[in-house]
Amino acid sequence: MAEVILENICKIYGNNFRAIDQLNLSVEDGEFLILVGPSGCGKSTALRMIAGLEDITSGSLRIGGVDVVDMPPKDRDIAMVFQSYALYPHMTVSENIAFSMRLAGKPKAERKKRVDEIAKTLQLTSLLDSKPANLSGGQRQRVAMGRAMVREPAAFLMDEPLSNLDAKLRVQMRAEITSLQKQLGVTTIYVTHDQIEAMTMGDRVAVLKGGVLQQVDTPKRLYESPVNAFVAGFIGSPSMNLFEATLMGDELMSGSFAIRLQDAAFVRRPGLRSYAGRKIVFGIRPEDLYDSSLESGRKYQTIPAKVTSIEELGSEHIVHLNIDAVRVDSGDPDAVDDFGLASNAVARFEPVSAVHSGSEIRLAVDDAKFHFFDPETHLAI
Amino acid sequence: MTRQKRSHHRLKRAVAPYLYLSPSLLIIGLLMLLPMVTVIGYSFQNSAVLRRDPSFAGLKHYQAIFADPVFWASLWHTLYFTCMSVVFHMTIGMVFALMLNSDRINPTLRNILRVLYILPWLFTAVIIAVIWRLLLEPNGVVNSVLMQMGIIGSKVEWFSSPATALHAVTFANIWAGYPLFMVSLLAGLQGIPRDFYEAADIDGAKAYQKLIFITIPQLMPIIISISLLDFIWTMQVFPLIWITTGGGPIYSTEVLSTYTYKLAFSSYNLSQASASAVVILLISLGLTLLYIRCQKAR
Repeated sequence: MAEVILENICKIYGNNFRAIDQLNLSVEDGEFLILVGPSGCGKSTALRMIAGLEDITSGSLRIGGVDVVDMPPKDRDIAMVFQSYALYPHMTVSENIAFSMRLAGKPKAERKKRVDEIAKTLQLTSLLDSKPANLSGGQRQRVAMGRAMVREPAAFLMDEPLSNLDAKLRVQMRAEITSLQKQLGVTTIYVTHDQIEAMTMGDRVAVLKGGVLQQVDTPKRLYESPVNAFVAGFIGSPSMNLFEATLMGDELMSGSFAIRLQDAAFVRRPGLRSYAGRKIVFGIRPEDLYDSSLESGRKYQTIPAKVTSIEELGSEHIVHLNIDAVRVDSGDPDAVDDFGLASNAVARFEPVSAVHSGSEIRLAVDDAKFHFFDPETHLAI
Repeated sequence: MTRQKRSHHRLKRAVAPYLYLSPSLLIIGLLMLLPMVTVIGYSFQNSAVLRRDPSFAGLKHYQAIFADPVFWASLWHTLYFTCMSVVFHMTIGMVFALMLNSDRINPTLRNILRVLYILPWLFTAVIIAVIWRLLLEPNGVVNSVLMQMGIIGSKVEWFSSPATALHAVTFANIWAGYPLFMVSLLAGLQGIPRDFYEAADIDGAKAYQKLIFITIPQLMPIIISISLLDFIWTMQVFPLIWITTGGGPIYSTEVLSTYTYKLAFSSYNLSQASASAVVILLISLGLTLLYIRCQKAR
């Protein structure tokens, strides 16, 4: 077990493309850190640089206090689980797990003992003589974990290991990997583009965009206090609604409606006053928008909205809306998918809500839950 | 749909595949099966083809060829020629394929090498035979280069000496045939996921261990298929040997195909030639069945 420290890590490809720019990250001993971001953000590149599969253009990388920048992968004391699992199809489960020990010339008896131990932990004992082609997705995933565990590495690196599984199995394997990591206590760096995996599995989450680290924090703080509009939009599903408005006194003016902000909003964010009379970006999560007909007791302010479509999920309704405001793009390419052509906002209503597609409604907003961002820099205010 | 229409539709569906297959089956039957059966028939007749009413000979012609030392020499030469060709085709093909698949070689150079390495495949057997006859002439380039390098002291008659002729024709055949292996193995190499090698790098595999534990097992289906096909094809090679040595000198390069040809068209002993051809057919058939079994196992 060891801590992994990345200092000013850069990766520049031959065509001057900067895949990773000045990445600074410190992963504590035994910590489960998630690297998350949209496609092409450099998260897998960062992981591969830690593994030694990609050269580091500049910067320093230490694993367990040892500078490993110039070390080949085998000497870095890491194990990696690949997105494809990289299981050798011609070898049995047992041979796959014991492969690194075989390469190291370990005696057969020692290999068998270790493989049996791991198989027991991962519930693979009955499958040891099977070939990967005869295993289910979840079983293959466990074999890949076993192959990583057999080396007793200082750190586990996992590159989207659940992305090939179906949704149900993914939920199950999420829990299995998390509990295994806690049980083993091995420092783990886990790459995913799925922010639900990021929020549910990691001790901390590092959000990357365009090769630049945006924020690294606990899932709860990332959700509650995003440092910029990108993190705000990326974390949370459906994404946070971001709109352009003008701050006039203590009122947010946007299109045909105004929302009065409480004093507490200005007390919590002293910088907000400086935006008086100027444009500002405000964000509100779908779960902080309500069907006003169900919220009469709470005295929320309301704004007009038109329901464009509804996704009834049983436990909740995802309601796509159109409100009279200019939507702001967070810079997350995946966020676009949350909005239909005719909608610019998403709300999460209770299943008792009776709104239907095409209806004009009053949308109750909890202004205490607003997030504010600078319209130019998109940094949180 | 009425019952009559339904049964008509079912009949059409059942017959259609055989109608599509029938032209090819007819051609195979006329051009392959019929001659094959005829040759098998000839091998049991006295004076086949030459007489209108040939008599039944039983296994006489088979006994005759099995008693002929030239037949056994031809069989041994065929096996040597075939085995050496297949082994070297595979080895050279594998080395070149690994080179062409390597990231360490400059991409431009790789493209040039790819064209150069594939060149022998573009020549017909006759051209290859003529090229190597010229190169291996006593006054040819090969002797001249080897003498200048001090490897040989005097001119060697590669195709005319019984000691070297079989090796020389085998060498020419190896040169002509490795590109098939190279191209097939290169395609196979390009299909091996990169993750396998990266996982092995992390596990501490050295280059030779990656070759033994990943590359070769991954290529094994291709290696087996191509080797068997090459074995079948090489066993039947005729023009290269016929043009370079004609089976000589003193039968030293006689293979089953030239032996059979000579029986048929030099000695006009078509019955014995048919018996020899049937022996070749049986060996090829055995190998083909092995190939089909390997394909099914995959």
